[in-house]
Amino acid sequence: MPDLSSLWLTARLALVTTFVLLIIGTPLAWWLAQTQSRFKPVIEAFIALPLVLPPTVLGFYLLIAISPNAPFGGFWLQATGDTLSFSFTGLVIGSVIYSFPFMIQPLQSAFEGPVQQAIRTAASLRASKLDAFFTVAVPMSVRGFVTAIVLSFAHTLGEFGVVLMVGGNIPDRTRVASIEIYENVETLNYGDAHALSLILLIVSFLTLFCVFLFNRRFPAHVRL
Amino acid sequence: MSDSSLSLRISHAFGGFDLDVNQDIPLDGVTALFGPSGSGKTSLLNAIAGFLRPASGHIRFGSTSWFNDAEKTWTPPHRRGVGSVFQDAQLFPHLNVRQNLDYAHRRALTDKPAHSYAKIVSAMQLEPLLERRPQTLSGGEKQRVAIARTLLTRPDLLLLDEPLSALDNARKGELLPFLEALKFEFALPTLYVSHDVDEVSRIADRVIMLEAGQVIASGQTDEVLSRFGLEAGRNPYEETSTIVGAVDRTEDDLLAVKIGAATIWLAADIHIEPGSQIRLGIAARDVSIALEKPSEISIQNMIAATVKSIQPTKRPAFQTVTLEVDGQVLQARVTRKAVKDLALEPGRDVFALIKSATFHP
Repeated sequence: MPDLSSLWLTARLALVTTFVLLIIGTPLAWWLAQTQSRFKPVIEAFIALPLVLPPTVLGFYLLIAISPNAPFGGFWLQATGDTLSFSFTGLVIGSVIYSFPFMIQPLQSAFEGPVQQAIRTAASLRASKLDAFFTVAVPMSVRGFVTAIVLSFAHTLGEFGVVLMVGGNIPDRTRVASIEIYENVETLNYGDAHALSLILLIVSFLTLFCVFLFNRRFPAHVRL
Repeated sequence: MSDSSLSLRISHAFGGFDLDVNQDIPLDGVTALFGPSGSGKTSLLNAIAGFLRPASGHIRFGSTSWFNDAEKTWTPPHRRGVGSVFQDAQLFPHLNVRQNLDYAHRRALTDKPAHSYAKIVSAMQLEPLLERRPQTLSGGEKQRVAIARTLLTRPDLLLLDEPLSALDNARKGELLPFLEALKFEFALPTLYVSHDVDEVSRIADRVIMLEAGQVIASGQTDEVLSRFGLEAGRNPYEETSTIVGAVDRTEDDLLAVKIGAATIWLAADIHIEPGSQIRLGIAARDVSIALEKPSEISIQNMIAATVKSIQPTKRPAFQTVTLEVDGQVLQARVTRKAVKDLALEPGRDVFALIKSATFHP
């Protein structure tokens, strides 16, 4: 029987990461969808970087940034009395950066075009910006939100490289399922590796299946 | 400036043209913003609604300032009390008709006098549609919902941006009576953007004519339309050549417009700055052809032209002769007999006699 604590840790990491991404990703995606700033392409390229960069590169820079000797890591140590490297919080930071494009891109494309026009219409009906965002933009972008949340969650479930670099392999703290599988294979414990892999495979498939099922029933933008 | 007018002093540079409007619009009845696409009608509407912040100038609604460049003040769209109806209705797709109406109704300012919900719904005949989704409505039905929704916000000013343009002719005919009802029953000051002479002459009390971002004429509907040779029921774009020329000077109440080396004279009841480019509409039936330059004739406008081609028309007695004038195309409608008698053929140098030309909207 494999150690299920790694699965629980993985689920927790994915949930927290997705929640954090939703909080910071929504306003950013909203800004990107309506900005005419000339810095937009630079920012978009930055956000998309984790799609192409080897996770080890990302993890390496993160490791340096959060080490107690670096300004950010040092500040964190002073403020909280705890180091970021090899901690759950460090993992969350790494995962948030790693899964960033999976939250931003679906939201941004959901917010563009018809939603921007609808926001203007709402303004002409005396709705303030915030009012219009929650009463028009969010309900019109349900599909984008579902896609963004599920992709971020599923992508965080499967990450390996960043976690290994930033969090190491500490049971109950940073040993997530993907690392446990690696560990099992290294120690030729194929039975447990099989069990964990199968669980991850099924969970990932079911999550994605739900998205596609949902998308079928919920057209992207209900066209007029 | 009167308390009951919309005062516009707007300058804004776009990629292609500059919007430059200096106009007071009385706040009663329907004022049409009329002009070809790209003339700045919609940009002007956006500035009034608050979706476009002009580079400089001011916008005042009665005694309320909505925008003042000098004082750096700006009222956001949702606080202006401007109700907009867009070309494509823009109903919220996630709400049904009733919910769309309620959305506006809930946000209306309650301290203002208003027509009742029931009256608005019945004026636009929406009772049978209330539970429908917007996607299931026809174009005309959508626009009726959009108009009712805007009325429910109790606007001080109504902006209609080509509300009929997305509809086919039959649907237009169905919706027009509703627009007239809007005008007479609800009596809101309205700006109506259109490039359709019929619509404008039927609905508008006055017309502001725009061309390339500038107001080129304004006044009572009939007066402005007739000054430009536009009549309801006659399509101004049919069998009409458009010639671009540059205003040269004014003389004897006539405006001299240079087309290449030639000059065309027009009645100059509006002032246009020398050097401005203007477009002239010349109806094919107002163009005659001569082989030599006639000397004693009342027609003032004679310009050298070359025959490019000759085509038949729907009526066998007539032919359309396509002429080239300074690289531009000018069509003349002459009888087949005249073509034969003058031995017109492609390549022949002739004189085009232009009986009348109008500013092309």
